[in-house]
Amino acid sequence: MTEQLLSMVTQYGPPALFAIVGIAAIGVPLPVTLLLIVVGSMVSQGAMDIWLALAMASVGSILGDQAGYAIGRFGGTAAVEKLSRVFGKKAGLEETQAKVRAWGGPGIFLTRWLLSPLGPWINLASGTAGYPWHRFLFWDVLGECTGALVYISLGRIFSDRVLALDSVLGDTTWAIGALMLASILGWQLWKRLVRQP
Amino acid sequence: MADNSRPTLAIALAFLLAVTGALVFASRATTQARHFRTMDQPIHGWMSIPFVAHTHHVPPSVLFQAVGVQPRQPRDHRSVRRIARELNRPVPEVIAELQKAIDQAKRPPGGPPK
Repeated sequence: MTEQLLSMVTQYGPPALFAIVGIAAIGVPLPVTLLLIVVGSMVSQGAMDIWLALAMASVGSILGDQAGYAIGRFGGTAAVEKLSRVFGKKAGLEETQAKVRAWGGPGIFLTRWLLSPLGPWINLASGTAGYPWHRFLFWDVLGECTGALVYISLGRIFSDRVLALDSVLGDTTWAIGALMLASILGWQLWKRLVRQP
Repeated sequence: MADNSRPTLAIALAFLLAVTGALVFASRATTQARHFRTMDQPIHGWMSIPFVAHTHHVPPSVLFQAVGVQPRQPRDHRSVRRIARELNRPVPEVIAELQKAIDQAKRPPGGPPK
């Protein structure tokens, strides 16, 4: 699968990049980081224009994210509310929605590029929780443009080491994700231990 | 007490697991970053010949010549996989030929074969 996708980008260039990042943003697990690094390397070799690459990567991802948000907003709310009534979790749902509204912006921004595997889930959750669309769009555009710029630039700088760079970035992303999870769990554990007599 | 301590224990275990995961991935990332410049760069079927040439710092003409293909102008974007299909040859065979050409191109003149 990865081989075919990367072949498409090396052969067909910007249109393939646009389509793949858009599909990935909706939720299909595709190796977008590696793809952007390869595109950066292609830019360095003169096989693709930098501005076109940045535009295609950003616009494709943003459109995919917007589709995910729309699915959550117009299709997901009814389903989640129905489930919450069935299971009597209305208060829990409202609490989650309040959290998304409060922490939404930085969360949306970081999951566009630093913790990108979570991105499609955040799109759906933002739509379902009714996070304001104009704010979602703002953080989404900011995050996707940052992601495209960071990974394409890294690929451009380390253009002869794309696979090594992808390995390092992959492990770094997992390490950051695990560290964030450990922080949340550690905080919860601390609160519980302090509360206990 | 037992009801109250069970979720705390579960959170503690999850916390330890997350810390372990963070340490393992951070250590892997550090090791890979340390060997960044010396790590092998394997040739894959999705790569174009100019891409392989750039990655291994050899002229593309050497690689086109090695597989017996005339490069398209102005730039040949065909992947190794596609070239192999056009030549009606297995991909690993074409990759092995490219690797051999890279090794030869990198060998100092008069140096021993690798």
